Parts: sequence; C-alpha cells; structure tokens
Amino acid sequence: MRFLAKTLLVTTGLACLGMVPAARAQQLLFDYVGFDYEDPVLVPGTFGGIGNGYVGLGEVPVLASPLVSDQSTYEYTYVLTGLTATSRIVGGSFVVISYTGPGTLTVYEDSRSTGTPFDYGSNPPNPTAPSSFNDGTAILVGAITDFRYVLNTATGSGSYDATFEVVGGTQYGNIPADERNGWTFAGATGNTSSIPPGYAHQVDGQTLLRLPTPVHVGSWGELKRKYR
Amino acid sequence: MRLWVRFSATALLALAATVPAHAGPIIDWDPAYFYAAGATPYNSPFGTQLYIVGTVSAFGPPLGFLNANDPTKDYTFYLYGLGSLGTSTTPIPTLGNAYLTTYDSGLIELYEGTPRDAAFDPNPPNANVPSTFTNGTLLLSGTITNFYTQTNDFSTYMTGNAEGSITWTGGSLFPIVSPGGHPCPSLFTGGLTWEPSALIEGYLFRHDGKIDLDCPTPARTGTWGRIKAIYR
Repeated sequence: MRFLAKTLLVTTGLACLGMVPAARAQQLLFDYVGFDYEDPVLVPGTFGGIGNGYVGLGEVPVLASPLVSDQSTYEYTYVLTGLTATSRIVGGSFVVISYTGPGTLTVYEDSRSTGTPFDYGSNPPNPTAPSSFNDGTAILVGAITDFRYVLNTATGSGSYDATFEVVGGTQYGNIPADERNGWTFAGATGNTSSIPPGYAHQVDGQTLLRLPTPVHVGSWGELKRKYR
Repeated sequence: MRLWVRFSATALLALAATVPAHAGPIIDWDPAYFYAAGATPYNSPFGTQLYIVGTVSAFGPPLGFLNANDPTKDYTFYLYGLGSLGTSTTPIPTLGNAYLTTYDSGLIELYEGTPRDAAFDPNPPNANVPSTFTNGTLLLSGTITNFYTQTNDFSTYMTGNAEGSITWTGGSLFPIVSPGGHPCPSLFTGGLTWEPSALIEGYLFRHDGKIDLDCPTPARTGTWGRIKAIYR
C-alpha cells in the first residue's frame, strides 16, 4: 500500500514537473507587409503548381523587443524564399498548397540615407526585386518549415502559416536561446488594385515567438506537502 | 486590321484608366481582436453579431502624417453591425474542412484618442471594450460590405483570413480619402489566428491586418482624333 502511494506520488510529481502540455505565451517579433510571386515557375498559370517556387518580399514596419530597430534611420525589409510547392490539394473552391524547404525568412536593415530604397517594380524577379529588398544587413534569419498556403479561388484571398526558428543574423544574440522557436502567419489577397503587375498576392503577416513556460524549482518535501 | 488596332487601343486605355500605381497600406495594425457571442472559429450561426477592436501600429500615405507611436495618443478602430449570414463548410480531401462565414454590411470607425488607453480586457464587451477604442476624435467612418472570414480545421497554427470592402462616408479626415469628393474604395484585409496561446480570453480571433486605399488613376475622356494625335 505504501509502495503504491509512493508510486502514485512520483507519477503525479513527474506530471506536475512539466509532462503536461502547458499553454505558452506568444511574443510578437515582427510584422511585415508585402507581395508574393512565384519563381521558378514550372507550371505557368497555376499558383502553387508542383515545382513552383514561392517568394515573398516587402517592408517590416514593426520590430519588437528584443530586436533593436530605428525606423527613422533605417528601412527594414523582408525576403521569404527557398520554398517549393510539393503538394496541391483542391477542395471545392479552396486550394491547399504545401511547400518543402527549408525556406528562409530574413529581415534586412538598410540605411535610408545611403542605402537603396526598396522598389517592387514589375514582373519579378526584376532589376529591383528582390535586390532592393535583400541589400543591407541581415539582422535576423529564420528557418521556415511546414509552410502551407490555403487559398479560396472564389473569394480571391487566403492565408499561410509555417514554423519559424531564429538561426542567424546580426541580432541573433538578442534572442535568448530558449526563445528562438515560433511561427509565422499571414493573410493574402488578390483583391486590391495596389498589387504591382506580375505579383500574385498582397501579404500582411507577423512572426511570433513562443516564450518558455515558467518553471518553479521546489523540493520533494514541498511537492509532497501539496498532495497531502 | 483597323478594327483590331482600335480594339487593342481601347483595351489599353481602359487598363490605364483603372490600374493605380502601387501604394502601401494607409493603416496597418497589430493587433485587432474579434469577438462574437455564440460563435466559434468554425461556425458562426446566422444572426451572430461580430465586433472588432484594434490599435493602429502604422499609417501610410495619404495618412502618413499621423504618428501611430505618439505616446500621448492612441489610434484605434471599431467595427460593428456585422451580422453573420452563416458559415459554409467545404471538405478538403485528406486534410479536413475549410469554413467560410459571410456577413451583412457593418460600420467601421477610426479614432484618435488621448490618453493612450486602449485595453483589450478579457471577455468583451466590458468596461473598456469597446469604450476605450471609440473615445476621442472620429477621424474616419464608413460602411463595410462583403465581409467574410475564412478558417479551417487543419492549419498547424490555426490560421485563416478576413476581408471586406470599405466605403468611407465621414470623419474629420474624410476629404483626404476622397479626392475630388469621391471616396476611394478601400479594402480591410489580413490574417487571423485562433491559436489559444495567441488569444485573450473571450475573444474569437486575433487579427493582423491593414487597410488599402484603392483610388483609381484619374481618367479623362477624349476623342479618337486626340488619341491618334498623341501617337503620331
């Protein structure tokens, strides 16, 4: 009986020590706005055709702590690349496209006074895109996996999400080692006339980091007292 | 041949008259939160009322003179009057289901308030929601139509999107978004998530989005003689 009680206590204790999945707080890392296109295009005329490459680029109007930014002095841009469509599932008017990578989502910092202002141009890739987006200093490099796009061809809009892990950049060290994993998501639309010619969608997204679950160091005695 | 040239020229002119130059969003926010009593991310019964409150994080031209980071002010918006027309379900083979909820027309209001007091308190409506998002000066107001949300039960991080068309009708900055007295069509758009750890208790979605001002390029009527003269 005493053995059984001890076993139960140990089992309960282990569960309390973090075996039970806990909600983890999310922290906004950066917010981005831009456009996407496909390159290379193996299946012309079909967004997400198998083998088509995905590229997203644009500006980063919000960078949150622990990243350090100065929007008045520097222009911040992003480039999302390295993704290839490998699966395209159609259900009614919805299309779900899965991509393999690993992709990279990189944030660049470029001087507003001496750098090159970003310019989408037309029909990317072109002389200014992505070159005016990936110039400057790569302050943050993230690895992108599990990238999946959901589009509704009837409404002309959709969304994507992916797993994000900070792997490099000059501000890599600003992010604590146990806070480098997170995710990114965005809404995408083809319904605004501000999309430059040759781009597929306008994109508005953000990247969030998962903060570690707080832990409390305690003794076995303290744990046993809780369950008596 | 002559007919073909005339047709091509007409098509080109029509395109030139309607496609605006690229412009960034006039309003960008992070975050906005949706709430709707009786709704879930996968179903919003007919008649369910949807409300959205949000804080602006950046402005772009022609509202670029506003500073969203001014510590003495907050810029907030409120959408209301959006009655659900129901949710339709579309099976996605091997993955699950996609859901589309459409809404009746509603209203949107943008405010500039002092002090910076907007608070996404849990379980709205409450003492601060929506009141701290509707205090101050009404900068813009308008109607929003064709509003919808799209969700699904298979995305890794529980993500979808929302979108609607805005027609501006009033507010102190109305003339700025209405060159020549003609309100520019605008688009409310962006991604949403219902990932529990990204939400606040009592809200349905967290939304990261923006508004685009889709002003058409000014067009001028002319004669064929004038057009031919240009290209001679």
